[in-house]
Formats: sequence, structure tokens, C-alpha cells
Amino acid sequence: MTQPKIIVVGGGLAGLMATIRVAESGIPVDLFSIVPVKRSHSVCAQGGINAAKNLKGEGDSTWKHFDDTIYGGDFLANQPLVKGMCEAAPAIIDLLDRMGVMFNRTPEGLLDFRRFGGTLYNRTAFAGATTGQQLLYALDEQVRRFESEDKVKKFEGWTFLSVVLDDGGVCRGICGMDLRTMEIRTFPCDAAIFCTGGIGVVFGRSTNSVVCTGSAQSALFQQGVYYANGEFIQVHPTAIPGEDKCRLMSESARGEGGRVWVPKQAGDKRAGKDIPENERFYFLEDWYPKYGNLVPRDVATRAIHKIVFEMKMGLVGEPAVYLDVTHIPRETLDRKLEGILEIYEKFVGVDPREEPMKVFPAMHYTMGGLWVDNQNQATNVPGIYAAGECEYQYHGANRLGANSLVSCIYGGMLAGPAAVRYARGLESGCENVPGAIFERERVRQQDITDALLNQHKGTENPITIWREMGDIMTENVTVIRYNANLQKTLVKLDELSERFTRINLQDRTQWANQTLNFVRELGNMLILARVITMGALARNETRGAHYKPDFPERDDANWLKTTKASYNDGNIQLEYEPVDTSLLQPRERKYTAKA
Amino acid sequence: MADKTFIVRIKRQQRPDESVRWEEYELRYRPHMNVIICLRDIAEKPFTRSGVESTPVSYDANCLEEVCGACAMLINGTARQACTALVDDLEKPIRLEPLTKFPLVRDLVVDRSKMFEDLKRTHCWIPIDGTYDIGEGPRMAPSVQEKGYPLSRCITCGNCLEVCPKVNQRDPFVGAAIVSQVRLFNMHPTGAMHSAERLEALMLPGGIADCDNAQNCVKACPKGIPLTESLAAVNGQVLVHAVKSWLRGE
Amino acid sequence: MPAAAPESKTGYILDKLQSLSGVVPIGAYLVDHLWSNSYALVSIEKYNQVSGELQTVPWRIGVEAAVLWIPLLFHSLYGMYIWSRGKSNALSHPWMSNWMYVLQRWTGLLAFVFIGWHLYTERFGGHGVTRYAGVAQDMTNPWYVIAYLVGVTACSFHLGNGLWNFACKWGIAITPKAQHAAAWFGAAVGVGCTLAGIVVVLGFHYAWFPLGGYVQ
Ligand SMILES: Cc1cc2nc3c(=O)[nH]c(=O)nc-3n(C[C@H](O)[C@H](O)[C@H](O)COP(=O)(O)OP(=O)(O)OC[C@H]3O[C@@H](n4cnc5c(N)ncnc54)[C@H](O)[C@@H]3O)c2cc1C
Ligand code: HEM
Ligand code: SF4
Ligand code: FES
Repeated sequence: MTQPKIIVVGGGLAGLMATIRVAESGIPVDLFSIVPVKRSHSVCAQGGINAAKNLKGEGDSTWKHFDDTIYGGDFLANQPLVKGMCEAAPAIIDLLDRMGVMFNRTPEGLLDFRRFGGTLYNRTAFAGATTGQQLLYALDEQVRRFESEDKVKKFEGWTFLSVVLDDGGVCRGICGMDLRTMEIRTFPCDAAIFCTGGIGVVFGRSTNSVVCTGSAQSALFQQGVYYANGEFIQVHPTAIPGEDKCRLMSESARGEGGRVWVPKQAGDKRAGKDIPENERFYFLEDWYPKYGNLVPRDVATRAIHKIVFEMKMGLVGEPAVYLDVTHIPRETLDRKLEGILEIYEKFVGVDPREEPMKVFPAMHYTMGGLWVDNQNQATNVPGIYAAGECEYQYHGANRLGANSLVSCIYGGMLAGPAAVRYARGLESGCENVPGAIFERERVRQQDITDALLNQHKGTENPITIWREMGDIMTENVTVIRYNANLQKTLVKLDELSERFTRINLQDRTQWANQTLNFVRELGNMLILARVITMGALARNETRGAHYKPDFPERDDANWLKTTKASYNDGNIQLEYEPVDTSLLQPRERKYTAKA
Repeated sequence: MADKTFIVRIKRQQRPDESVRWEEYELRYRPHMNVIICLRDIAEKPFTRSGVESTPVSYDANCLEEVCGACAMLINGTARQACTALVDDLEKPIRLEPLTKFPLVRDLVVDRSKMFEDLKRTHCWIPIDGTYDIGEGPRMAPSVQEKGYPLSRCITCGNCLEVCPKVNQRDPFVGAAIVSQVRLFNMHPTGAMHSAERLEALMLPGGIADCDNAQNCVKACPKGIPLTESLAAVNGQVLVHAVKSWLRGE
Repeated sequence: MPAAAPESKTGYILDKLQSLSGVVPIGAYLVDHLWSNSYALVSIEKYNQVSGELQTVPWRIGVEAAVLWIPLLFHSLYGMYIWSRGKSNALSHPWMSNWMYVLQRWTGLLAFVFIGWHLYTERFGGHGVTRYAGVAQDMTNPWYVIAYLVGVTACSFHLGNGLWNFACKWGIAITPKAQHAAAWFGAAVGVGCTLAGIVVVLGFHYAWFPLGGYVQ
């Protein structure tokens, strides 16, 4: 066989790392991304990246990182790869440091670490409050270097539509659409690595970026890739509510000493800064003395929900609580948190150094994603690999803060070489696949697009359908889940899918038609929403981020298992597989202990 | 009570080779609106003020929190990010136009690939040996990190290029953002070993000498990057490099 | 102008020479020129003596060409080329430094016209020898006075602002603080030159010798 050909779809942290690893082994890569990779969603990550480098004399270790991750994820993650990730993390930080990431430093010129949720150690390396941006740029620069050596070819402004499967069900290429010319084209490859990120847009308003629709994952799912643990959706406790987006106030605000509180007196109308110390209720510190403000996200989110909705102690006029950093010296704030405080200042118009911030939980992250094996980041379809937020492997039922960046990079590091090994091992490469196979897929995709462009009688507005989907998903499939409401959600999704067939594509031009692309994504989102809701409905227990008041306990006997959704001719089926708990025995997850 | 409304005027162009037209939309006011919400409102109801059906406006946006750089445009004539442009703070009617220094794609979308190409031309990366584990990176004084970090926050939005009189169709000037990146990489202990490559690149056409010190860039930068400081610093570096390599072959 | 080969450094070198030539020799000459003309504020004799000395340097034509005309011609013509490569936008982005950018160009042009005319009338026009009486004679014409005031102000502004530019563009003043200081320095030079120029012109016009007192 000649030189293998690898395609990477998605240029966030995971995709760029995978690209670097493949290019480094001398094999050319085609890299596809909707947005220029430097604008990928990973730029939004604020707080930091975990690695137990134990530079603070706390006796931290990779095993403790592993234990925190598994425990924080409520024992739903397969353990061997998580252990591998935690062991690789210190070297990953070193690598990023060598790539020039401007991590914060100690006086000795070493990396500084801060504390994040769900751990008692200072384990999070950070670059101000824009760590994700800094990491993404470092990888972007390395890829640009390979690009200048012609080892990487970028297709920015292309969206992935589907994979090209041969008659044996093996991936032989991808089909994409140029978002400028709207041309649909296939690209042969021997293996494709998918790193298409999060799915926040399914929930309407989230902390995610605009392109985080999960459309690619859904397309793959519809072509036979399993989707695992879809029901595990992380809601971040502290975000600024907004009509277009909920902007995150990173856990690092609490890591640097930020405190969450509400007035002791419900309905207290005074401004936050005028309420004296002894009239404030620091409910996280009160309820969880050991971890305090740094309990894991699911725990903090539910606590805020309880304060606001059950105890009616939220702030006057809006569902929100205070996140307060005003007691931290200004100099520290500017050095370590400037990036996020600036966001609050710009969008709310209030200086958070002077006044406590008003925050509320918002959909943030999907623990679930494309199913991959527990060694190679390979999906069940030969030739398809996945890494980053779009796959399910590392975070179980709840992700710890600052663990995503490390899982994205680790996943990319594994996926790249694994795809190369697979491609080298193929008996016959994509160049021998008959053109008709590619043409078949191209025509199928072209037909879908043409049908949308030619539908003139549509009445339904895509944005309206999307809003309704987001609203019902946020209401019923995030923090608190009742089976009756989940059922209602499925009915609503049916209705939306039906209305979707009557969509009115207001723009029928063939040039940079963003509506066309959005509508195609919306169709995929509706299916993903169903996978998530069905998984949630089926899982009658409470585990990590999945909370059902009617089933308030974790049920290991029945539910210590991975949800695997599959798609056959329009039907979604759920099956389950056991979790690999070979390294740590599941134990009760409780953060209420005394310090 | 009747809803409060306001007007948005948008410069539209279906394709680069098609004619320009201005459209006016009347939108319902809500608190905390930004320009992105305006554009979404229009996408949901693409009818102009006079009731004519139009198409949703094409625009770039991703992060919606001013860290991806995608959404730069001219808002009331000012080059800035749309996601942080709050309706409350803007003079009405709000006027939206695409950036003018980059090739137009459609409506408010322009092609900024020039910037990424220029990052390539100027070798803006740290040439590491490989991704395998070879231990820790070089130590770095906190004071260096504190200088470098603000530079590394550049979101490649292009606002600094938009306002620069020397960035235009006649002049290939790379612009302040790229020069500032060169400074960043020259500051890093490993990057400094290769500073000559970057400085040489900046002596070529479109390089540092094109800067004529109008100092607009620094005022347009949404990230508050000290661009004029970077320009001056790199100017000095290039000069020293040029003289040294000429006189002493260094 | 210089159709520099695409990947060559010629453009860089020419840009730097243009920039340098504004300071030395042209800027330095401007200061010196205002200095020697200030002797007109002392006395007629002193002025005639100083200018007589200047006008009798050996190899005069060669020296003047080398340190003055050629650099000036290069600075000006290449300056206009640089100007043509920019697209000023001070109306849409009316920041102070942006206006300075525009003014730097227009004052350069004014200076060019003025210097050309000044050379024509004072250096080549008559005799190549300037004496107090001749200049004073010219300065009785109010149009001359206006032209000189405008010309000298333009040159001085251009030099003052140019020094600030120079400090930034040669990496001398890097931090905002230093650039601020450089701006003040440039402003001081600019204002100083303007004032000196105006006083000299008025001195000729009114036959006024305010500095004569020192030299009794
Ligand atoms: C506000 C915020 C703050 C966060 N902070 C932290 C933190 O401090 N620490 C931490 O560990 N984690 C954090 N996270 C989580 C973390 O940022 C993400 O999980 C991670 O960046 C995902 O990276 P990725 O590489 O998987 O995908 P992304 O960075 O989302 O990249 C996805 C890529 O896929 C491309 N793509 C998507 N669909 C298609 C398609 N159909 N066709 C072609 N290309 C496509 C996109 O263009 C993009 O290049 C945060 C998340 C958010 C939202
Ligand atoms: C009295 C004569 C002149 C003096 C003393 C003078 C001085 C200077 C100085 C000191 C500079 C700054 C150099 C730099 O940018 O680093 C400068 C720049 C410049 N000058 Fe002149 N100059 C003179 C005449 C002219 C003329 C006749 C022109 C022609 C139009 C001109 C055009 C320019 C231009 C375009 C610049 C570039 C400014 C920039 O790079 O921002 N100058 N000059
Ligand atoms: S330097 Fe500032 S204005 Fe220029 S591209 Fe970067 S962030 Fe944008
Ligand atoms: S959308 Fe990312 S900067 Fe505005």
C-alpha cells in the first residue's frame, strides 16, 4: 500500500493534537473544521488543566488524580484509560510548556498550580483565566508549522456531513460541504478521526460556542457509530445568564478563593456589597465543610437549585446567587482571573472586583459522546476514531473541572497513532475503492441539500424550532429529571421533528448560505436530543450529573453500566455494557464530610 | 404597553461581485441585547422595516464571549467585536458593515486568511523537537510570563488591521497583530533561539518598516494588547539584527 | 518607485534610510539653519559674518548636495511614495495619533514646496550669497512673510512629530511611558523651532534685534 491517508475532522484541542501526532509520524493529514481552527470552542476554556505534578509539596500523585476523577465521575468511567490519562498528564503539561504556553509561574520560574473543584490538591496549571485559548493557540501554532512544511492541509470553512462507508461498512472517506461555495465533495481516507467537540447548542443556551451543535456526532450515529452515556450532561453552577449564551464564570474564581452566597434573609433588597458578613449565607461552605465552594459541579449546581427553587432564597428579581471575589486583592484578581472578570464587566457592565457577581447554573458539557473502545479511541465502525468532548470515555457521570482539556489532548495523542497503525495495517487502501462508492454518498448528501433548497411551501422557521428544542431540553433534561417530563420532552421532540419536515429555508442562494447549514445541523440535533432524553428516561437512578428525585440513590446493582445508543432505520435503541472497574472498587460518593 | 423598538441598518452584499444594498430592520428591544442577538432576531424574522422579505444576514460568530475573534465588523463605523457590542451602549440606528480591509465573502463575513498566512510567513511558533516526553520546558521568570501572556491573548480578530492606514490593497503590511506575535515568540526562551528567522521575515515587503506609527491599532484592540509597544520593540529587534548580521555576519 | 524585488530587503533599507535622513542630516540641518539665522536677531553684522562663513565653505556645491539636497530629495520623493502606499482614515477614526499621521504627510508636502521655493529664491535665484539687507528686502513683502511663517511651521511640526515617530520606529522609545516622553520631546523641538522661526521672520520684517543686547 502507498502512504496512508488520514483525515481529522475538528480542530479543537483534541483534533489539533491528533493532527500533530499523525503529521509527526510523517503521514500527511487533511484537517477539516467549520471555523478556522484557531477559533474553535476550546478557546473558551478558562480555568486550567489538571496534572498531578505535585510541585506544591502536598503529596499529590497521579493515583490521587485518578481516584478523584473516578470518584467525581461516580464510578461510571472505564478505569484503565482514565488511569492512563492521569499518568500522562504531567508530561502533557511539560509538552505544552515546551510549546510556549504562557502558564502562570512561581517565583522560581516553575509552573504555578491552583485548586479546582472535586479535589483537595492544587493540581490545575493555568495561564491567567484563558487557559484553553492559550493551549489551543500552542497546538494551532504547531499545526501551522506542519502546514508550512506541507504535512498538513487545512480545510477551514468546511463542514462534515457524513462518512463514506464501503459495502463492508468500513470508513473510506468523508463527505463535506464547503460553507462558502456550498459545494459537496467527498475526500478519500484510510482512517478518519473525529474531534468535533461539544453539543451545547442542543440545549439552546449553554456555555458552549455557536458551532457546538453535535451535528457531526449525530451524523456518525445515524451511520452506525454508537453513542454512549448521552444522558450525562454537566450543568455548570456559575454562569452569567444571557439570551444568546450563558457566559461561564470559571471554577477558578472559586479556586482562587471566590465564595458563593445568598442573603440570609430571603427577599433582601440591598445591593450585595451592602449586606454585612453575618447576614450572608455561605451555603456551600455550610453544607460541604470539607470541600466548601469547591465541591464538584453537579453538587454545587443542585445546591444552587435547592436554594433558589426549593428554599426560595435566590436573589431578588432573578434566579441567581452571588459569586463573590471582592475580598480578594485586586492585584491577584488581575493577575490570575482577569480574563473572566473582564467578561463579566463587558457583558453585565458591573465591576466584579467591587460587587459580587450574579450567577446561575447553565448547561456546560457532555460527558456522553461517541462510543470508543478502551484502548485506541476507535469507534465500533472500522476506520472511525474519536477524541475530545465528542467521545464519552473519560468523565463517567460527571466531569471534574480542568479535566476536559487534559482528556482532549490525551485522546488526541492516542487517536493519531492508533489511526495510523490501523491505516498501515489495511490490506487495501482508499485509493482502491471504486469511485462509485464515493459518488453514492455524495449524491445522497446532495439530494438532502437539494430537497431543502427546493422546498418552497415550508412554513416553519428553523430558529423557532431550535429555540423550542433548547427550551424543553433545558427545562427537563438538565439538573433535575422526572420521568413524566422526559416523556413529555420526547413527545415535543416528535412534534418538532414533524415540523422540521415543513421547514422554510428562507435563503435559497448557493453562496455562503448559513441558513442551509444551520438547518442541516438542526436536523441532526433533533436526533441527538432524542438520544439524550431516552437515555435519561431509561436510567432510573441518580448518578453524578444525572439526578432523579424519584430515584435519589445511585443503583450499582442495576445501573453501573454504560448506555450505548444505536440507530437502525430511524429507530434509536439503547443497550448497555458493563463498566471496567478493575482498579477502584466503587464506593459511596459523598462530599459532605468535615474538613 | 407597546414594545420598545430600535432600528438596525445593515450593509448587505450577496456575493463579492454583486451590488451593495442597505437594509433596515426594526427590532424589539430587550435588556442586555448585543449585536449577535439582533442578527438572530433578523434570522428568525427576515423582513425589513418596510415589510419586504429578505434573507437571514450572514455573519461570523462562535464563542460569543470575545475570545474566538470571529465576529469582528464595523458597528457604527467602529471596528469591534459584535458579541460584546451591547445595544444599550450603541447609538441608534445601529449601523452594521463588514470589515473593509479583507476580501468580502457575503454580508458581514470577510475572509481573514491573510492573517493566518502571515503567521506562517513569520514563523510564529516554538519549534519543538517532538511531542514525546523529554521532560520539562525551560524555566521562565514570572516577569517574562507577565509580559508575554497579554500578547498571547490576541484573538486574530483583525480590528487592528482594519483601522491601520498602512493595511490596504496597495500595501502587503502584515499589521500589528502579527508583529506582536513575533515579539511573543522572540520572548520565549526556546523561541528566542530562532528569532532571526522571524526578524528576517519582517524585513521583507509587508514587514515591520511598513508601520508608520499612526498608532490606531492599539486603540482598536479589544484585548488591550500593547501593540505600539510590540511594534517599537520589534522594530528595535529587527534593526539590531539587521546591523549585526550585516556588520558581523551574526 | 523602487520596484524592490518581491522577496528582497531593499524596501526595508530604503524605509530606514528615509526615516534616518529625516533626522540626520535634514532635521539636524533645519535646527542648525534656524540657529544660524537667529544671528539676524543679534545684529546685521553678526548675521552677515555668520552667513558669509557658511557661504564660503570649500567644495560648497558638493558639500551641500551630499549633506542636503540629495538626502532631502530622497527623503521627500521616497516620503511621497510611502504616503501613496497608505490610506489615511482620520475622518472615520479620529484619534490624535491618526491626525498626526495625516499632518506628517501634509506638512511634509508643504515643507517640500516651501523649501523648493526658498532655495529657488534665496540660494539659486540671485547670487548664491545672502546678506541681511537682501532678506530684509524680501521680507517687506507680506506674502513672503506669510509663506515663511507657514513654511517654517510646517517644517518644524514635521520635524517634531518626526522625532517622535523616529523614537518609536527605531525601538528607542518602547514602553507607552517612553513613547509619551518622546512625544513631549518632539513637541518641544517642534514648538521651539516654530517659535525660533517665527521670531527670525518677524525680526527681518521689523528690523528687530531683540538679542542684540548681549553683544555689546
Ligand atoms: C466556557 C467553557 C469553559 C471551559 N473551561 C474548561 C477548563 O477550564 N478546563 C477544562 O478542562 N475544560 C474546560 N471546558 C471544557 C473544554 O473547553 C472542552 O471540553 C474542550 O475544549 C473541547 O475540545 P474539543 O477539542 O473536543 O472540541 P472543540 O474545541 O469544541 O473543537 C471542535 C472542533 O470541531 C469542529 N467541528 C465541529 N463540528 C464540525 C463539523 N460538522 N464539520 C467540521 N468541523 C466541525 C469545530 O470547528 C472545531 O474546530 C470549558 C468549556 C466551556 C464551554
Ligand atoms: C524640512 C525638511 C524635512 C525634515 C526636517 C523632515 C524630517 C522628518 C523626520 C524626522 C521624519 C521621521 C522619520 C521616521 O518616520 O522615522 C520624517 C518622516 C517623513 N517625512 Fe520628512 N522631513 C522633511 C521633509 C519632508 C518632505 C519634503 C517630505 C515629502 C512629502 C517628507 C515626508 C515624510 C514622510 C512621508 C515621512 C514618514 C513618516 C512616517 O514614517 O510615519 N518629509 N521626516
Ligand atoms: S492584536 Fe488585538 S486587534 Fe489585533 S488581531 Fe489581535 S486581538 Fe485583534
Ligand atoms: S463570537 Fe467570538 S469574539 Fe465574538
